[in-house]
Amino acid sequence: MSGEVRRILAAARNVVEGAERSGLVGALVDATGLSPEGVRRALARHLELDATEEEIASLVRAAGEAPEVTVILSANVFVGALRAIALARAAAPRVVVRPSRREAVFAPALASAMRALGDEGIRIEADVRIEDVARGEIHVYGRDATIADVRAHAREGVRVRGHGTGMGVAWVSRSADLEAAAEALADDVVAFDQQGCLSPRLVLVEGDIARAELFGSAVHEALAAAERLVPRGLVPAEVRAESERWINTMAYVGAVCTGETHAVAVTEGTAVAPSPTHRHVWISAASDVLAARALVAPLARAVVAFGTDRPEAAGEIAPAWARVSRLGAMQRPRLDGPVDNRAS
Amino acid sequence: MPSAPTRDERIATSDALHARARAFASAFEAGAEMPEPFDALACDLARFQASTSTGFARLCRARRVDPASLTRAIDVPAVPTDAFKLTRVATFPPEESAIVFRTSGTTIGARGEHAMRNVGTYDKAALAFGRRWLARDLAKRVPVLVVGPSPEELPDSSLVHMCATFARELGRPAKRGTTFVVNDGVIDLSVLDERVSYALADREPVLVLGTSFAFVHLLEAIGDEMPFRLPEGSRVMQTGGYKGKSREVPAGELRRDLAKLFSVDERAIVSEYGMTELSSQFYERTLFESSPHGVYAEPPWARVVPVDPETLEPVADGEIGLAKILDLMNVDSAVAVLAQDRVRRVEGGFELLGRAPGAPPRGCSIAIDEIMGRTGEAEA
Repeated sequence: MSGEVRRILAAARNVVEGAERSGLVGALVDATGLSPEGVRRALARHLELDATEEEIASLVRAAGEAPEVTVILSANVFVGALRAIALARAAAPRVVVRPSRREAVFAPALASAMRALGDEGIRIEADVRIEDVARGEIHVYGRDATIADVRAHAREGVRVRGHGTGMGVAWVSRSADLEAAAEALADDVVAFDQQGCLSPRLVLVEGDIARAELFGSAVHEALAAAERLVPRGLVPAEVRAESERWINTMAYVGAVCTGETHAVAVTEGTAVAPSPTHRHVWISAASDVLAARALVAPLARAVVAFGTDRPEAAGEIAPAWARVSRLGAMQRPRLDGPVDNRAS
Repeated sequence: MPSAPTRDERIATSDALHARARAFASAFEAGAEMPEPFDALACDLARFQASTSTGFARLCRARRVDPASLTRAIDVPAVPTDAFKLTRVATFPPEESAIVFRTSGTTIGARGEHAMRNVGTYDKAALAFGRRWLARDLAKRVPVLVVGPSPEELPDSSLVHMCATFARELGRPAKRGTTFVVNDGVIDLSVLDERVSYALADREPVLVLGTSFAFVHLLEAIGDEMPFRLPEGSRVMQTGGYKGKSREVPAGELRRDLAKLFSVDERAIVSEYGMTELSSQFYERTLFESSPHGVYAEPPWARVVPVDPETLEPVADGEIGLAKILDLMNVDSAVAVLAQDRVRRVEGGFELLGRAPGAPPRGCSIAIDEIMGRTGEAEA
């Protein structure tokens, strides 16, 4: 099935090349709420178009085999459709894709480009009834409740693979250059306006509160600079409310600085949790690796991605299933299997 | 910025503020005028809290509020309930705590804590307002039954503490058995049966206190069996959210089922609204007035103000907002608390409209609610 995956990548490249003239960029802006610059950056940097043969082979192995796969997509990170479809197509000759109701743009564009390359194995269907899926597998992306609902309605003998919600955590070690780390982290935050399961929502900085605050200032500046290049998109009312609540909470709990389109909070010695999406960053000081591990432990099940300046030492803190990458590359996971390595 | 007070100064100021707060409850019990304007005490509390709590001082700066210049309670920055889960919200060090109430647990293991240096103020306020809406017509002490655990079993629950206070101050000691009918998480129906039987024999009204989820468990345990026919004049206080401890039952349905179970009028089923982060409670007035269910009365020492979730400014009359609760009994913690519950001002009080959801998870990003365990603010 490696050939099919390579053809999907070729189709994706065609989609990207024609994105402006086909109106795809505008359609994605409307569907995702991202700014045009945000959409263009996602297409340019965050579609995994350059997978190696080794990565493709790994993806094919992870996909397994099924007579048919039905893919239920979620919104947010529209480029995720590429991996989801690649996994499904690697597993089965026939794939049915139900795009998210909020973002029914990218997957149909990709399927259309694949048909243009001769792959008729993928069909887009806006209304898929889970009860009607007679065989094979259902790959469902989204909230735990959505996955549970699909499981509950799936017929006997149909395997459901769930890909749930998650978050990214970043670790800035004692040896990190704080400014460079802050700029790299800002890249990870800005991608998709922080709405993906790989997006860093919590950063642990090795050292004392003063170092964490220094890093916080650097992130504040980096996010302000990033805004000039990639403006934040639309922020839903519920996120604006969440933001206000979070900023007030963090002002009480630690230190918080806000920009026009972002907020950075720094704490020490408290429990930690994910920040709101849309460019909010929670930074916590952690005296050492042990302290960092203790902070992450209660959240571990939710951690899908782990970014750090020292990937070689990530195993000391990151959950075993988390995708580990350098800061700045958290939103560019290798196309070697599901993005979420937690058992489904 | 004035320098922080010394320990002795802090305690003296706190004690004086406690006395002023309790004076509200005393005046209320005596049917007298409030001893001073609400705004005056609220602003003095805010100034005290800003001088003794670095967190609150930071929040004031972030909201561009100068505590020294405050003249209106509504301008006091509200401490979000999440802050109680993440840090200490108190004007005094831990070693001075007389009691610490805790919220339910969260995924991150953090339980909200509300430490009190002087629990007497909490007790006085709770009793004064609880008596008004649950027991003002009772000429003498009556049997009190708590469908919940005892303070010995759950010492850090503000709700259990309040129920125990009511049992102690309003109730007549049980002839046999116990006031608390839940042990190790199991409802002891025989105790309930026995206490009700004695009350029936003595023709005494009974005051039953319990959480919504405990009542749901009780209803499920009873099934279609004979109801506990309570003596005439009996009443039931139900409170608290479900927090996943039982199936959730709509308020009206639970009220009907409880009225049937205890053979009392639905108006004798009184809902209380409170939360661990507060020292005051709110009640439906249905037992004594023609007020509808779902409308909660405030004591003169607490106000519930619906605020816009994006600006935290009060919304127009009749509009729905997040509950910003001004509580003069929160002397040593936070005089203004921002809850996650949606409320609307109506004649006679406010309506409680359920929890305001955090940002819903979209696609694959995890929602803060899933981590912070925000399942409603009603107390544990």
